[in-house]
Amino acid sequence: MLETVLGFFRENDFWLEFLITVIKIIVVFGICAQIPPFMVWFERRAPAFMQRRKGPNRVGLFGFRLFGLIQPLADTIKLIFKEEVVPTGAHKFFYHIAPVFSLFTSLMVAAAIPFGPPLVILGRTITLSVVNLDVGFLFIFALSSLGVYGITLAGYSSNNKYSLMGALRAAAQMISYEIPLGLSLIPIVIIFGTLDLNSIVVAQANVWDWGIFRAPISFFLFVIAMFAETNRAPFDLAESEAELVAGFHTEYNSFKFSLFYFGEYVSMFVLSCLASICFFGGWQTGFISQNDLTSLLFGIQPLAVLVGVLMTFLKASFFMWLFVWVRWTLPRFRYDQLMNLGWKFMMPIGLFNIVLTAVIAGAIAFK
Amino acid sequence: MGEWIAFGALAGTIIMCALFVVLGRNPVGCAIALVIKLFALAGMYGVIGADFLAAIQVIIYAGAIMVLFTFVIMLLNVPPDSRSRWDRPPVEFLMVGLSVLALFGVGIYLIFGAFAGEGVEVLTRSLVTEQGGNTLMIGRLLFSKYVWPFELASILILMAIIASIVIAKKYNTEES
Repeated sequence: MLETVLGFFRENDFWLEFLITVIKIIVVFGICAQIPPFMVWFERRAPAFMQRRKGPNRVGLFGFRLFGLIQPLADTIKLIFKEEVVPTGAHKFFYHIAPVFSLFTSLMVAAAIPFGPPLVILGRTITLSVVNLDVGFLFIFALSSLGVYGITLAGYSSNNKYSLMGALRAAAQMISYEIPLGLSLIPIVIIFGTLDLNSIVVAQANVWDWGIFRAPISFFLFVIAMFAETNRAPFDLAESEAELVAGFHTEYNSFKFSLFYFGEYVSMFVLSCLASICFFGGWQTGFISQNDLTSLLFGIQPLAVLVGVLMTFLKASFFMWLFVWVRWTLPRFRYDQLMNLGWKFMMPIGLFNIVLTAVIAGAIAFK
Repeated sequence: MGEWIAFGALAGTIIMCALFVVLGRNPVGCAIALVIKLFALAGMYGVIGADFLAAIQVIIYAGAIMVLFTFVIMLLNVPPDSRSRWDRPPVEFLMVGLSVLALFGVGIYLIFGAFAGEGVEVLTRSLVTEQGGNTLMIGRLLFSKYVWPFELASILILMAIIASIVIAKKYNTEES
């Protein structure tokens, strides 16, 4: 039985490729699904330590407390079993589709992220990203620009003024900050000369080749735009609770609310991965090449790949920590301050940065 | 085989959504249908190997222009159309029919021209890969063969930006 199945896949390359892609999708989805519960727990524990409190540390499994790590599970169960209330006068179709749309775009972006170096199994090279695109950069921008629709539709369909105001704020903010985000990454494309994320990582083998040392201004702009793009504090005006109740998801409850949560954390994770790929060498360790690492680990290539994947997650988790850290440190911006920062400060600097990088890159190429 | 399945699914989506854009009653619904239609069109570009065009299509049309469309519709709070679909002057039907026919004619002409190899340079996928990929080739062409049209288009856009700023400024001074 097993022999016939294996034989079938050995003969039909198309179906083998299909199976590998399906496995990759499941694995990436599984990783993304683990992020929100952990982050919900972390986002309550980390500020608790910063403020000398304890935070949620009681919920445990079979008498083991595990630092309260089971808390998100309890929260999720509560959310799923809550009664679903659809507000009167809501546009039913859009009301139900909006959270799905929001999650869909975040998860699709995760498909283009290379989590590790290419894996070689039985003479077959498997890239560790769901889709291996030449235009990975553009793919990420294309799909993250669609993320606005989930929020605007949620605000529009809820039949609530606070929701609509929150949605309009969020959409205006996301559109405004997509421009500095894009501008901040163009120098990276100029320096590495490719739109393929995997090639960008390959080019950063040495620590001094990392994007942060080659394009420091870009990194600075990217981090600021990253916070605004995910609607996180200090730019969380979309859901400023003192003015707008909860912004675009005021009328959402139970599982649909948790889908918005899910989408937000996944897009935070994806942007953290992007930051680590563009500025911190992605899966590269920085001082030892992938080939040397393989020979150091007794020539077992999958082990070296595992180290690479761990490097990506380590670097991405730093940015996830940064998100939490900043949220509990800085107060919220005012709306005009947010817009002035985006259009009058970050955009000119971004354009200047592109010209500067192009001139330097041109001078190096000319020499 | 895979290409044909993708083509069928995408073409079906495009036609259904395009019909909904014209026939739908709720303006926001129409706008969202247009977004899905543009997204499916980008998928079509992806199927024929034009990755760059697909990404740009989504970034500019679906991600930027249509967001502003939905924005305006939501802010104006346009009510759903309650008129009957057939309760319109016959001239409207005639105009729509004629323009659709003209577009269709141009499309057919272009397709047959491309198959006959007239006017349009035939680019196969292997030829594009040989030249270093879709994006690189477009970049090279834009900065060598088509540099003048490219620069002229950017000047046109700059003019539009300046014009819109001038118009916006005028309104402000009149109010104050």
